[in-house]
Amino acid sequence: MKVLIIDDEEDTRSIAAMSLNIIGGLDVVEAENGKIGVEKAAAEKPDCILLDCMMPIMDGESTLAELLTNEQTKGIPVIFLTAKAMTSEIERLKRLGAVGVLTKPFDPTMLAGQVKALLGR
Amino acid sequence: MLLRQAEIEVQRQIRSKAIISQANTLSKLFYDAGVAMGGYSITKSPLFSDRYDKIVRQIPQDLNELKSLVGDNPRQQKILENLADITVTGLKILGEAKAAIDDNRVDVAQFRARHMYKEIRSLADRLQDELRGLTEDERKIESESPEVQNRNRATVKLFLVVGVVFNILLAVALALFFSRGIGRRLNVLTDNSIRLARGEPLNPPLTGGDEIAHLDGVFHSMADALTEASRKERAVIENSADVICSIDIDGKFVAVSPASLSMFGFSPDELMGKRFIDLIIPEDVQETIKAVRAIRAEQATMNFENRIKKKDQTTVTVLWSAYWSESERSMFCVAHDITERKLAEEATKASEKRIRTIIENMLVGLIIISPEGIIESVNPRTEQIFGFTSSQMVGRHLMTLFTEARLYSMNSREDLQQFMDNLFHKALNRVGEFDALKQAGDDFPIELSLSEFNMADGRFYLANILDVSERREVERLKKEFVSTVSHELRTPLTSIRGSLTLLNVGALGALPDQAMKVVNIAERNTIRLIGLINDILDIEKLESGKMDMVFQNVDLTSVMERSYESVKTFADNNGVLLEMVPSHINVNADGDRLVQVIVNLMSNACKFSPKGATVTVRVDEIPNWIEVKVIDRGRGIPAKFKNLLFQRFQQVEASDAKRKGGTGLGLAICKGIIEAHGGTIGVDSEEGKGSVFWFRIPAAQAGAQEKKVS
Repeated sequence: MKVLIIDDEEDTRSIAAMSLNIIGGLDVVEAENGKIGVEKAAAEKPDCILLDCMMPIMDGESTLAELLTNEQTKGIPVIFLTAKAMTSEIERLKRLGAVGVLTKPFDPTMLAGQVKALLGR
Repeated sequence: MLLRQAEIEVQRQIRSKAIISQANTLSKLFYDAGVAMGGYSITKSPLFSDRYDKIVRQIPQDLNELKSLVGDNPRQQKILENLADITVTGLKILGEAKAAIDDNRVDVAQFRARHMYKEIRSLADRLQDELRGLTEDERKIESESPEVQNRNRATVKLFLVVGVVFNILLAVALALFFSRGIGRRLNVLTDNSIRLARGEPLNPPLTGGDEIAHLDGVFHSMADALTEASRKERAVIENSADVICSIDIDGKFVAVSPASLSMFGFSPDELMGKRFIDLIIPEDVQETIKAVRAIRAEQATMNFENRIKKKDQTTVTVLWSAYWSESERSMFCVAHDITERKLAEEATKASEKRIRTIIENMLVGLIIISPEGIIESVNPRTEQIFGFTSSQMVGRHLMTLFTEARLYSMNSREDLQQFMDNLFHKALNRVGEFDALKQAGDDFPIELSLSEFNMADGRFYLANILDVSERREVERLKKEFVSTVSHELRTPLTSIRGSLTLLNVGALGALPDQAMKVVNIAERNTIRLIGLINDILDIEKLESGKMDMVFQNVDLTSVMERSYESVKTFADNNGVLLEMVPSHINVNADGDRLVQVIVNLMSNACKFSPKGATVTVRVDEIPNWIEVKVIDRGRGIPAKFKNLLFQRFQQVEASDAKRKGGTGLGLAICKGIIEAHGGTIGVDSEEGKGSVFWFRIPAAQAGAQEKKVS
């Protein structure tokens, strides 16, 4: 199972990648912004995308819209991994078409399990 | 002989006619004299006296003429002599009566008239005898020649005339007597009318049933009515709280009612003769003089005000109502004390000024509108808020100042009505938010509250308007700041916490024991810091009313399961057993927030429970409420802390925060969340026997709709 992490924070990407890879045993691909993320998604065809919200160049919501409309990526499930903590924000993000929303700071020991649970695996 | 006889007959007939004519003239003169005397006695007019004098001079001449006509018949001459006597006596009596009338000796005139009546009466009786003699003569004459008969008939005619004269004299005397009698009664009447006018008591009522007595009776009733009216008027004047007075042309009091004592401190006696102007305080003298002049010039009742210095040197403000009587050469005044009224007016003016100052300097815009929405008035702050001048706003519809003016038509009654309906719905007796329009065309947010009030000229609404542009900007910045801080803190914490956890769980290889211990401490404190940040954000949101809540139909069983999962590890670490007594009850609530509350209460219970103890969570239905209890067997809570516990940063012991962890915000957040659900939270505890933390939220209404509250 391959997961694409799109996040502008390199440290966060590294921790998330280690959590998923070392603890969860998943393959991980990283992208530092939405634009590259969409390209990598199209190229790598991951099983799931972990998408940050607040990013320069192309934010999470625009990236999601792009992923959902792109012929090559529209079937890939997307999970937001966001620092936004407001309940209403989380509800809103869910309605945009993501399969789930996980919040930062996350527990590295539980991240892979949470992702799998949202994907129903 | 016959011719001579005829001539004599003709001459005798001529003479006879002359006697009759003369006698007629004489009788007419007497009649005229009587009329003239009667007229004079009543009017005393020289017209009557001149006529009378002329007649009186005429009578003796005519009598002499009659004598010459009668000739030598001794019997007739005797009668004529008697007639002359009576005439002289009559003229004498008339003369005396006139003199008495001239001297105003009415009683003498009346006496004379009575005397004359008697005298004439006796003369008339004598004349009756003479006439009887004449009748006998006539019988003799009938047997004599026609000439003698004719002559005698002429003589009889003469004496008949004389009889008429006597009757006329008699009539004159009677007329005089009665006219004097009527005159006396009329005099009484005249005197009564004068007395009435002067307010003096009337003469005793006239007796009799004639018109004069009736008229006199009317006079007496009138006098009684006037007396009664005057008595009442006096009572009014004397008991009036107002001072009623008159001031003469020299400005001095000539009559003053008793109220002067209480109003001015001076008794009416003290004021009589005193100058009006001396009572007035110097500042008001000029105005008063001006007013009094105007009253004299206008000859009408006019009002003026001034201040009077009382006897005790205090001042009383007086409203004078006065008119000038030219005939009395006086000013009649009524003085009304308006000191209290003036003070009240001044107090009202001062109060009005105060209120006006407040209104004009208020930071809130005030607009008064009619029920239809027409602007009646605005305060200066409103001008600043909207950029319109007062005159640009007054008279226009309130909608002019709202962004609706762009969408709706000012000429459409329906549009205006819709605007007003929305306005009343959102802002009547509460605060509504609206988008307003500045004169320059810019949008800006306002808060508006309407309240109804009634005035003499109808119902109005007062709109309180607050320009909230700045506040909105501050709110926006604050929200942005909170969001930024939240994000900026969470991002590095994600890395730190992730790194430490990965180290701690050995994901990156085993660490030496000492290093392991340090990493563990770092991880634990990082988690605590994350909790603190979350709590602070929650508190901030609860206090600003911006806590996001998503209410939906929630099964409490799932809430209990999620809570159990969250706390299980922590309970295990503390050696505490968890006992869950769930119930399949649905509530209308924010499930995540309920989990947050129950987890918080369970974590606290675990922290303060001894090892091996059990923490029980149970759900109960009570009428209209769902109750959740978290029961521990810990040390309990002293009574004095029970209320403080739910305030921020309150813990039973200051050392608890260090020893047991926690921010001191948890229960305050729980309280805020439960109250946002319309519920209550509390604790029942006995020191040493453990505590029961409970909360109640309303039971879901059957078929309750999901609703969102933010």
